[in-house]
Amino acid sequence: MSLNPTRVLTCIQCGKCTGSCPEAGKTPFNIRMLIRKKQFQYAIEEGIPWYCTSCGACTLRCPRDVKPSEVIIDIRSALVEDGQIPLSLQKALENTFVQKNPWGLSRNKRGAWTEKLDFEIPHVSETKEKRLLFVCCIQAYDPRCMVIPANVAQILKRADFEFGILGEEEACCGNEIRRIGESGLFEELQEENITNFKEYGVKEIITLSPHCMNVFKKEYGDTGINVSHYTEVVWELIKNSALDIKGQYEKKVIYHDPCFLGKQNGIFDQPRNILSAINGLQLLEFSRSRETSLCCEGGGGRMFFETEIAYQRNADVRVLEAAERGADVITTACPFCLMNLDDPATEKGQVVKELSEILMEVL
Amino acid sequence: MNILVFTKRVPATQEEELRILGDGKEVDLSKLPFKVNDWDNYAVEEAVRIAEKTGGTVTAISIGDAESDEVLRRAIAMGVKDGFLIEVEKVLQDPYARAMLAYNFLKKENIPFDTILTGVQSEDDQFASVGGILAALLKVPYSSMVIGIDNVDKDHLVLRRELEGGLQERTKVMLPCVLSIQSGINEPRYVSIMGVRKASKVERKVFKAKDYEESMSSLIEVVKWVYPPKKGGATMLSGELEEICKQILGIIKEKGVYQ
Repeated sequence: MSLNPTRVLTCIQCGKCTGSCPEAGKTPFNIRMLIRKKQFQYAIEEGIPWYCTSCGACTLRCPRDVKPSEVIIDIRSALVEDGQIPLSLQKALENTFVQKNPWGLSRNKRGAWTEKLDFEIPHVSETKEKRLLFVCCIQAYDPRCMVIPANVAQILKRADFEFGILGEEEACCGNEIRRIGESGLFEELQEENITNFKEYGVKEIITLSPHCMNVFKKEYGDTGINVSHYTEVVWELIKNSALDIKGQYEKKVIYHDPCFLGKQNGIFDQPRNILSAINGLQLLEFSRSRETSLCCEGGGGRMFFETEIAYQRNADVRVLEAAERGADVITTACPFCLMNLDDPATEKGQVVKELSEILMEVL
Repeated sequence: MNILVFTKRVPATQEEELRILGDGKEVDLSKLPFKVNDWDNYAVEEAVRIAEKTGGTVTAISIGDAESDEVLRRAIAMGVKDGFLIEVEKVLQDPYARAMLAYNFLKKENIPFDTILTGVQSEDDQFASVGGILAALLKVPYSSMVIGIDNVDKDHLVLRRELEGGLQERTKVMLPCVLSIQSGINEPRYVSIMGVRKASKVERKVFKAKDYEESMSSLIEVVKWVYPPKKGGATMLSGELEEICKQILGIIKEKGVYQ
């Protein structure tokens, strides 16, 4: 049974979904049309559903609760069961099955990011608070993103905020795996992680990626564990004076709302509050921000899949707008957004920083 | 056409730093995940495609421990009809012993076949010879490095073998025969976890290797596991990024790579 039952037959074809879709108009992806085809059980061209970035804008705006983004997952699931999926996604799934991360890197090296720290992070079972810092795949392995867990660990330590990790026992959270349509693999990852959470008595999870937070909060069922994104925790620490921001940051910083943090989970203010608490920092906004933030196109498996047609990427649009608005730095609080924004920004001589990178400069 | 396809469960070593234990007596596999041998994945896909096109059935066979049932279920999820596990009590590396075990099993159980497919080699042992030895024991034709099967006829196959220098060799092979399948012959389909779970309902027969060990002996003995000798030649650059870049540029200019 589907995790979030859809209501395809209630669709009135109003087109609000396509109107808000970050892929509409410039790719062959038309979500309204796909829902129509589902209503009439018409065949769907197999390449089309893979354009969806799972940003959730369609589901948020749908007046009939059709949940178009969940319909896409259903369509993809049928393709997965048929074995008809793009090769790069197939590799990501097979890698996740074997090594519990989409890149197929050694599970034994999942804790390698801790090696550069000058202190040891305990296993979560050894902590008093049973508070888990969930690292997940891209931050554990990608050289650009490995800095995020290291930064957040140092920030939490500075605030005397106890936490632990799972190290190599951690498995991919499965948020993207479920959205690619591999429900069986998602269930296996979910079961493995929940078994660990229970065995070690985890009471609280702090995630670095909004994608992990989303899946733990909404799709792991009732685990009784309090889940939050690190920006929520860090803002509380700043508010309670447990973290003292000493440095100045005399720069204009523009904040990009990640879809899974913002529009899908309503966390808009905490990252902005953190940035606003930094002396000298001037916070800028994109024309499309908060609920209407433009998706970076990294969700729903798109981090592992290159589309066949070339078109102007949303990250490119974002970087151009940041320059127009006079931003010195683009910041965000999601590793996928960071990776997608980094490429066009580097090309245009702009700087992208994950929020924790800015914090490390001023603490 | 009745096809038998051999499939092996191997450790996923690609991203690992392997450790040798007990003065070269064994390799530490305790923390490694396992997977289907890559070449066998192509062989299973090819077998299923032939059966889909020409009719007939495909049976997957695995020589290994009880855990090897995993690769049989995977093969069934890909479209294979059923699976046989020849369960060994200890790891069998010697290719002659493996081929002899397979030969004895096929003869004793009187398993009919028109074609036997194996992967070119296994990722763990890399002897690339079980298929050839099995064909010799069965006294049937053998073709290695098969990169394409162009025609399936009643009494023969027309296939392509991969050669060096970008060449391929088209050959006609009479049936029954043994083929070792090269990776890249096809694009193996994705096997979903749900598919593998469903495949669990299809019966896999388990046979004990000790019942088929007649004349089976190892011709090769592993004396010791060793690391490759360390070679010199690598230069580690240090300093600031800009300085390192200058050094690299200097080196590639010096070597004539960049003028």
